[in-house]
Amino acid sequence: MRPVTLKRLAWTCGALALVLLATVAAALKLGAVPISVSDLLLSMGRVAIGRSDRLPTEYRLIVFELRLPRILLGILVGAALSVAGAGFQALLRNPLADPYVLGVSSGAALGAILALIASPHLPLVTPLAAFFGAAATIAAVYFLGRRGGQLDSGTLLLAGIVTASFLSAVIMFLMTTLASRDLRGMAFWLMGDLSTPQAVGVRSVLVVGFLVAAGAIYTTAADLNLLLTGEQEAAHLGVNVTRVKLVVYLGASVLTGLAVSVSGAIGYVGLLVPHAMRLLFGSDYRLLIPTSALGGAIAIVLADTLARTVVAPTELPVGAMTAMAGAPVFIYLLRRRLR
Amino acid sequence: MSPARSWAQASVAKPIASETSFLQVTDEAGRRVKVPQPVRRIVSLAPSVTETLYALGAQERLIGVTDYCNYPPEALTKPKVGGAINPNLEQVVALKPDLVVVTKTFNRLETVEALERLSLAVYATDAHSVEDVLSSIERLADLVGAHGQGEALVASLRARLEDLRQALAGRAPRRVFFVVWQNPLISVGRRSFLADALRWAGAESVVNAAQDWPVVSLEEVVRQEPDYLVFAGSHADEADRTFEELRELPGWRNLRAVRERHIAVISDAVNRPAPRLIDAVEQLARQLHPKAFAEKHEKRSSKSETRAPQFATAERKELCPCAQ
Repeated sequence: MRPVTLKRLAWTCGALALVLLATVAAALKLGAVPISVSDLLLSMGRVAIGRSDRLPTEYRLIVFELRLPRILLGILVGAALSVAGAGFQALLRNPLADPYVLGVSSGAALGAILALIASPHLPLVTPLAAFFGAAATIAAVYFLGRRGGQLDSGTLLLAGIVTASFLSAVIMFLMTTLASRDLRGMAFWLMGDLSTPQAVGVRSVLVVGFLVAAGAIYTTAADLNLLLTGEQEAAHLGVNVTRVKLVVYLGASVLTGLAVSVSGAIGYVGLLVPHAMRLLFGSDYRLLIPTSALGGAIAIVLADTLARTVVAPTELPVGAMTAMAGAPVFIYLLRRRLR
Repeated sequence: MSPARSWAQASVAKPIASETSFLQVTDEAGRRVKVPQPVRRIVSLAPSVTETLYALGAQERLIGVTDYCNYPPEALTKPKVGGAINPNLEQVVALKPDLVVVTKTFNRLETVEALERLSLAVYATDAHSVEDVLSSIERLADLVGAHGQGEALVASLRARLEDLRQALAGRAPRRVFFVVWQNPLISVGRRSFLADALRWAGAESVVNAAQDWPVVSLEEVVRQEPDYLVFAGSHADEADRTFEELRELPGWRNLRAVRERHIAVISDAVNRPAPRLIDAVEQLARQLHPKAFAEKHEKRSSKSETRAPQFATAERKELCPCAQ
């Protein structure tokens, strides 16, 4: 493993940030309504010099009120899910761990739906309930996945898959039995969808929550490297295993809860992105966590741009896109591991 | 949770761009809406709204419809803005509408909130009875400056309903099972305008559920033993095909309604709270109470059904809002 220096970290993240920027530029240009590159550049320039009042109204609305917020939401959701995935993979010492596969996303979705039923228009209750849903689910999967006091990879995955399908069934039950009409369209909780714009207040909660939770996980990065060799070994090397696990557990649950409360259960990003980053940059968590955040952002923005454009003006749920790409890769990783 | 209240809460004060004149109305979901006058550019986010606007002669000003707006056939040529549950918001904005019309049952609250944040006037219709459908048509007509057309249209629909009421007077309602969707088996709930439309046609649904689109077990249908099964179809030969199909199906084939071939198939317009709903109600009434109309024909020539019952070319799948 190459040593992680500050220089290497900066170069790697800088390169990924450039890719992200290019992806965002493409996402701003593409959409159901055609906008030429020159018009886009002109609009951006006007906004940059503070003359946004000169913009044609429809450009202002489409580029800056619809596309840009959706892209930023995608960046946050992608980064949150990928960092959560990387965190779960370390916590459970299982490379196939991911919020979606383990049922954590379904747990968060159930929490969010229960909150929406109980108090439909209190904005902060939904992410909070999603967080509790995520935290409770991962705790349940953790205890179900142990065999003889040890975390067993196969048992853990089975526990996650069973939990996910159980929770999805509860969500289906609620959606079928409740008379309330406002639950219609909630199928998106099961698939993942970024098309619903969020109020400004929700966005700031999302940003702050992401920075705090991802930052907390990052402080444990060096310890996570040691933890991957085994809990006892890490403890011998002076790692406070209980504290590290608690931080990662809470941080990853917060990230999943935040992501799911605004976008539903988007699958496989948390699995795929950390793996791709490991292949590209090695498995040192000090590098893996920031690159996963950037990679996740790129992946979701890309997937959502496809979801918006392939059959425009009809929109696909972004979760359909990520699952189509993610499921085959999951099978590939699983087979390689079993061999 | 009261749906009406939560929709009302969703309405927020909108910044008003210029000193154009506005009409301040409370829409059918209880939201306060400021609609610029006159309305020149309308986007419809539901098939029923599209049909109603055509019937009001406002089609020129209708500049955007959903993928599901298939009636009248000309509506298919209008610019599309995507589905009703997930319309493409940037497409809606790009069309620069003065007014976006949604239905509370077919569209999502999140869509309405998002459009409001983009400073667009959004009016929601919400009909729970045939009377609601009529008043909704009138209100929509007033909103888009088609008061006269609205009045005339509703007056003729009312006259047809009155004829129906007289023809069916004194006849016991048929107990029917309305099949919205067969797999899974979905019928209509008591709060839906469809339940009321059935009553106007001299029928009564054997299902009495609180949900709008309840999933019903076939056992319950067998237990209720309805007089008639009612299907909404898009093809004229659907009655024969449905009968042949059900005759072979376990469970279904033992129903008295199937054995006696008491299967009514009416225009799928019945699924939309729009003027053609009355056509479908008349079709159903004629099939359920043929004698009432035989007598009536002797008394005077029928003036109802200005248009032949036109069957839309919709796929069955699109009729069930829950299947979207």
